[in-house]
Amino acid sequence: MLSFGAMKQIIRASLSIIAFLVVWEIIARIGFIHISLFPPPTRVAVAFLEMAQSGELLRDVQASLWRAFVGLALGSILGVVVGLVTGRIERINNYLSPIIQIFRPLPPVAIIPLVIVWFGIGETSKLFSIGFAVFFPVWVNTHIGAREIPKTYLWSAQTLRVRRFELFWRVIFPGALPFIVAGFRTGIAIAFVMVFVSELAGASAGIGYQISVSHLAYRVDRMIAALILLGLFGASADLILTRLLWAAFPWLKLLGQK
Amino acid sequence: MDHSHIQVSGLRVRYDGNEILHGLDFKIDRGEFVSIVGASGCGKSTLLHALAGFVHKEGDIRIPEDVGMVFQNYAVFPWLTVRGNIAFGLSGIGGRQKNVLIERLINMIGLATDANKYPSQLSGGQVQRVALARALATDPDVILMDEPFGALDMYTREKMQTWLLNVWEADHKTVLFVTHNIEEAVFLSDRVIVLGQGIILGEFLIPFDRPRLEKIKFSPAFVELKRQILERMQQSFLQPTTPSGGIYHDNGKFSAERRREEEPYDQA
Repeated sequence: MLSFGAMKQIIRASLSIIAFLVVWEIIARIGFIHISLFPPPTRVAVAFLEMAQSGELLRDVQASLWRAFVGLALGSILGVVVGLVTGRIERINNYLSPIIQIFRPLPPVAIIPLVIVWFGIGETSKLFSIGFAVFFPVWVNTHIGAREIPKTYLWSAQTLRVRRFELFWRVIFPGALPFIVAGFRTGIAIAFVMVFVSELAGASAGIGYQISVSHLAYRVDRMIAALILLGLFGASADLILTRLLWAAFPWLKLLGQK
Repeated sequence: MDHSHIQVSGLRVRYDGNEILHGLDFKIDRGEFVSIVGASGCGKSTLLHALAGFVHKEGDIRIPEDVGMVFQNYAVFPWLTVRGNIAFGLSGIGGRQKNVLIERLINMIGLATDANKYPSQLSGGQVQRVALARALATDPDVILMDEPFGALDMYTREKMQTWLLNVWEADHKTVLFVTHNIEEAVFLSDRVIVLGQGIILGEFLIPFDRPRLEKIKFSPAFVELKRQILERMQQSFLQPTTPSGGIYHDNGKFSAERRREEEPYDQA
């Protein structure tokens, strides 16, 4: 059962979305801009249904979500492992961090042409690009989280006879988890950007691909429908994954509430 | 026969070229409750960290291997429940025995109904009780406590002192307790060592019988002892110190003379 506060928040959010759609509909119908260039939300909804009925929507959504999920998983796992190691083992950090820091400022989009040359336009290049982009925010947050672990946690573990390898998964990983989650949430947003960009660069299915082909056919209504879908997926992914993390690590939510 | 459980001789600790502890000597007997008092920055916590092996040190230190530690700033793990924190150091113990021990400790700290709560759901006093239970779980020979009640309000602090004494009196572990609160040190301890600017300024035997009740804090003898310890602490502000040798005495009297004999250059 939703609380009164949550209900109020949902009503407010719904009202603002309805108001936005009404204003959009009115402006589009007035006709300052041709309706095919600036379609009203009712037309976008029709285009959306058209895509759903033809089966394109399901195909595109499946392709994009799979790429986002796998790319996010690859980038995050690597980011967490490397971040924990560079955050805690100074000698490895001295070797690895300079290399990572050189690549980190690169806009991830900039590597796509190179990745296509290396891997072609198949799935590998897309997953690599998404994983590459997700790696950096997850790595930097994990690295900082692992470094910032209070000494008293490590000392407590030392007096409780925890071995060095155990220390990583029993103390350093959970201790750095609030930071890792922050990096992961940034990674989710970046993953969806990269899904879109990598699909624009060459794909046969996906929401980015749909936007690209709709653009070539001047179907602005379909482009907007696909864009809204992409935005909705990005927002829902953050919401769902955060809820899953809270379910797996309830103390994280409690810390946030304190 | 030497009954000492902890023996420290010539303990020196340096951070970034600065000497924090200037050659401390003291002994603690098995089952003794000893407090270290001193002003902020005098090296109290550094002394505990050196004994626990957290920092590099010089000197001859004899301390049992099994040491439990309780910190001031709630070093319980926020990702584990009360039960999980207490069980943390018990990975080498079998299932049934382990569960019995954990339940006993949970009952001892009075958190049976909160055993599945996380530290962020507990009060400061409750968190520190969990920290002590976690330290006791592995049955260490010595417990080192670094201002464990320093972050608590006065009322909770006094309740925790009485609770700690009851726990301690059950098995008389050797305890080294660091605090800046003289009243707390006198109430809890068998002996109080006064530390100032990295040297031992004095040592006081506490003459009160056990078990101790809160009301002894209002007795004239208690108040007088507090005054004497405070006076001794003030020595660290009045007397210049040198980076070599501590002022140590065995009989409760200030022994600056001994140090002067050993280090005549300090007279100038």
